[in-house]
Amino acid sequence: MNHPIIDVSGLSFSYNGTPVLSDVSFRIHEKEFVALIGPNGGGKTTLIKLLIGLLKPRQGHVQIMGKTPGQVAGQIGYVPQDLNINKSFPISVMDVVLMGRLPFSRWTGLSKKDTAAAISALESMNMLDLRDRKIDDLSGGQRERAFIARALATDPKILFLDEPTANIDSRGRSELFGILKELNKTKTIIVVSHDTMVLSSYVTAVACVNRSVHYHDNAEITEEMLEMGYHCPVDIIAHGLPHRILKTHGNE
Amino acid sequence: MMIEALQFEFMRNAIIAGCFASLICGVIGTFVVVNRLVFLAGGIAHAAYGGIGIAFFFGIPYMLGTLGFSLLAAMVMTAVVLKSKHRADTFIGIIWAVGMAMGIILLDKTPGYNVNLMSYLFGSILAVPNSDIWWMLGLSVITLFSASFLYRDLLAISYDDEFAKLRGVPVNLIYFLFIGLIAVSIVIIIRVVGLILVIALLTIPPYIAEKYSRSLAMMMALSTMLAVFFNITGLWLAYAYNLTSGATIILVAAAGFFLSMGLDFLLRKSRTDYQNL
Ligand SMILES: Nc1ncnc2c1ncn2[C@@H]1O[C@H](COP(=O)(O)OP(=O)(O)OP(=O)(O)O)[C@@H](O)[C@H]1O
Ligand SMILES: [Mg+2]
Repeated sequence: MNHPIIDVSGLSFSYNGTPVLSDVSFRIHEKEFVALIGPNGGGKTTLIKLLIGLLKPRQGHVQIMGKTPGQVAGQIGYVPQDLNINKSFPISVMDVVLMGRLPFSRWTGLSKKDTAAAISALESMNMLDLRDRKIDDLSGGQRERAFIARALATDPKILFLDEPTANIDSRGRSELFGILKELNKTKTIIVVSHDTMVLSSYVTAVACVNRSVHYHDNAEITEEMLEMGYHCPVDIIAHGLPHRILKTHGNE
Repeated sequence: MMIEALQFEFMRNAIIAGCFASLICGVIGTFVVVNRLVFLAGGIAHAAYGGIGIAFFFGIPYMLGTLGFSLLAAMVMTAVVLKSKHRADTFIGIIWAVGMAMGIILLDKTPGYNVNLMSYLFGSILAVPNSDIWWMLGLSVITLFSASFLYRDLLAISYDDEFAKLRGVPVNLIYFLFIGLIAVSIVIIIRVVGLILVIALLTIPPYIAEKYSRSLAMMMALSTMLAVFFNITGLWLAYAYNLTSGATIILVAAAGFFLSMGLDFLLRKSRTDYQNL
């Protein structure tokens, strides 16, 4: 078996003494499409921030391509959950997307390559004609697309998306998942989403996140969860979801 | 009448000082406003009074004492802000008061000190010595250079510092650098409008400019122009009607602020009226 692209072992984290994740271990392989699901406050956002190195684990470690997240930050694309940061800030859509190309050489500034990457990212999200708009003047769904374009401008090997569909209408949703599926041909994708129905036909693995993480490769779930009625020792709320995924999957 | 006033060196110095102060306010004030650092800037301004006290008490040059102490206070505040963003205000409030109290006691105890305290509270733009003009020139150059050299980093940090960190921008370092520049700017602008009013000059122009700007650079340029306008108009009114210059400049800026708010309101109203027709 080839090396995992993400390797998490014995990971624990707490905010000021309140434990949020404890003893989490799993591995994600290249070009997987992983859905993180779980109840509000279950720790999905925290887990993603630990994976990309924005938070430091209290115990255990995260390795990405055999290195620390900080060392491979250039290969990571990230779409945060909260897009309402800094309302009324004077910044254009294009400048937001260009942030995905940071850091620039401070002497020469933006290169043609940076601009081209930002434009093609905007194009793939169908946002090119809005590039000179102020980000504050966009609708929620348009802003979401702009932030996904910012992550794509990096041309990352691994793409993390934290609830990217929360603000997007149903047509936009399947469109977005279509784009992600296309990107999945070359990239590993990790997405937090409550759209389990839509997701079920795309994902290769599901992780239930609720204090602990239960990681299921597709094959594993079908057998264990459907036939043997296996129950993860997690909260009922977290729990209903993977079963449903499975049912739709099995009935198809 | 303004022309006639220009033959006096003090008037020429005042205008030059006003322009430099405006440039610094435009650039640094924009950073203060978009990063919601107004309270921190207020803390630095009042802590600077402690620096003024130290400078007089120990007989060190005004700029050196004030700059040194304000920078120190600013660095401590930055460290606290970076450690706990939402709990920092109490701490800033304490440094704010301690700096001010220290300044008052030290000036009390300075033998033979009888300089008008008011000139530090409300500024003395009409008595800016040539040496200060050189300080201002140097610091304006440093400010402009840093802002343009680090423009993309500043933009990223101000808009989304978490993402900037992820992309490998040295967020904390740049934060310290820029809050240091805020401290330096404040010390300079205290010369013009005094420490009570420095916050107004630092924040009113960027606040007005923010609504009409599509980028940070445009906001900086627009604030600078507004600040120059407020400074010169204020100076002219102060000269013509024999008013305290610092206070006049601030009142002009405040008038500009309310005017822009009113204009905004009317524009929005006329637009909705039009839609309701
Ligand atoms: N900055 C923080 N400081 C303290 N506690 C936090 C912080 N961020 C999150 N928490 C707590 O950690 C727990 C996990 O939060 P997290 O944001 O990871 O959940 P989530 O699974 O992403 O939830 P949601 O579905 O609502 O986005 C919650 O109980 C939350 O209250
Ligand atoms: Mg979350």
